[in-house]
Amino acid sequence: MTITTETLKAMIRDYKGFELSDEELELVRPELESYLAEVELLKELDLSGLMSSRLLRAKEGGEAIA
Amino acid sequence: MPNDDIMELTIAELAPKIKAREVSPVEVTEAALAKAERLQPKLNSFITILYDQARDQAKQLAAELMRGEYRGPLHGIPVGIKDNLETAGIRSTVGTKVLSDNVPDQDAFVVTRCRDAGAVILGKENMEEFAAGSTSSNIHYGAVHNPWNLDYIPGGSSGGGGANVAAGVTFASLGSDLGGSVRGPAHCCGVVGIKQTYGRVSQRGLMVTSFNGDHVGPMTRSVQDNAIMLQVIAGYDPLDPSTVPVPVPDFSASLGNDLRGLKIGVPKDYYFDLIDPEVESAVRKAIAALGELGVEIIEVSLPNMKYAGALRIAGMADSVVTHEPYIRCNREDYGTTVLYRALAGQFVLGTDYSKALKVQRIIKEEYARVLQEVDFLATPTGPVPAWRIDSDTVTLDGADYPSRGPGSGMTARCTSPSNSTGLPAISIPCGFSEQGLPIGLQLIGRPFEEELLYQASSAYEAVSPAVGKRPPVS
Repeated sequence: MTITTETLKAMIRDYKGFELSDEELELVRPELESYLAEVELLKELDLSGLMSSRLLRAKEGGEAIA
Repeated sequence: MPNDDIMELTIAELAPKIKAREVSPVEVTEAALAKAERLQPKLNSFITILYDQARDQAKQLAAELMRGEYRGPLHGIPVGIKDNLETAGIRSTVGTKVLSDNVPDQDAFVVTRCRDAGAVILGKENMEEFAAGSTSSNIHYGAVHNPWNLDYIPGGSSGGGGANVAAGVTFASLGSDLGGSVRGPAHCCGVVGIKQTYGRVSQRGLMVTSFNGDHVGPMTRSVQDNAIMLQVIAGYDPLDPSTVPVPVPDFSASLGNDLRGLKIGVPKDYYFDLIDPEVESAVRKAIAALGELGVEIIEVSLPNMKYAGALRIAGMADSVVTHEPYIRCNREDYGTTVLYRALAGQFVLGTDYSKALKVQRIIKEEYARVLQEVDFLATPTGPVPAWRIDSDTVTLDGADYPSRGPGSGMTARCTSPSNSTGLPAISIPCGFSEQGLPIGLQLIGRPFEEELLYQASSAYEAVSPAVGKRPPVS
């Protein structure tokens, strides 16, 4: 999956992001390609019913649970 | 005692000599400063060496000893501090030109803990710009060199600390680890490095940090020294809500205990999928050695690790938010690798950010399940040994991967998952490549069970082929 330079420039313009020249956009492209590949992979996952787990908790006395 | 002999000791070996007044903090500090000065042209491991402050501290600590006051095993021990940790009245640059004149007015929590424990702050250590990379080839302050081979990187982003500990310039160094920045240098430099459980150590005073997953952790020449350092910096900080108010155990208490009855999990997914053959060989031998020490070896499955790459999506978005004020004002002062890696984050959609957090949950659940079956996991610390400083890519299985900047996440693929799960993970030297570069074994444990990692690491350390080996730099 690729994303066009025009689309990236439109995103920067519409969301008031940091402007990037065509040359600079090519420098960020490897990171974007990696990002898009990971997003593509996630399409096979059902993520609708998950609970949050921002913190690791510990029972009183220090016995840890994940 | 000759200077170089002092600097060969571990903290555990030196501390009793200081306590018994056989060696004074002044003598140790002068030995460390002399070595730092001698090796700085070769290693470039410091951004700032604190000659005057270290001497003043050492004199004060020596006077305390003369009065019979002993603070503990760090009394009079020279340590290094990564330059992204605040030090009061001392320039703290985060490895960037953007903050080249930044002088904080207070110490980071961990620095205060080290000072209170009697450690002598030898200097502020060189690092990857903004701690955003695995090379420590800093565009503003120069590349850090690996003491095992000066043409090679020391790993990053806490490369100055890894190099200093390996070369015997400091006895310990404090680094930070957002994706492997303590464990990577430990792997590349042949030292011990831990990223303890998220919430075990305060991050207060860690500058330009990530919102989620950063840790301050120690690098040392032995497992015992590492336990000593963590003992000093661990604990609840009411001013850092990310710390967890759990008891801090005696991390050294289980060192030397028998490993029989423990179970070690060896993941069949992900960690060994993309790995240099020499690294795999060394790590598998280390796992076998743990088996010979009585640990039951069990193959475990982590199938959802195929989605581990998604964990970085949240980090991408977080990075651009973290850097936003600096980029707005000082964009021209950024090195290109950091700048463009951060700016890629502005294209991450909110929905994808949310998905990344949910993948984090799935992977945390998976590790929690596996760590009910086994006591800890064994993996490589890094997929490859250190690479040449002048190399922009790392070649693995015939493919070239960027070694820094956008797209360089591969180099931290074995360490970064533990930043997302928050689980404690330690790197211990387990061998060398044919080129003589160190290789690290990573052990990953259950939350807040660092003492078990230290127990296993210490037992393995005694039989490791890396034990007693020191880099040739002098």
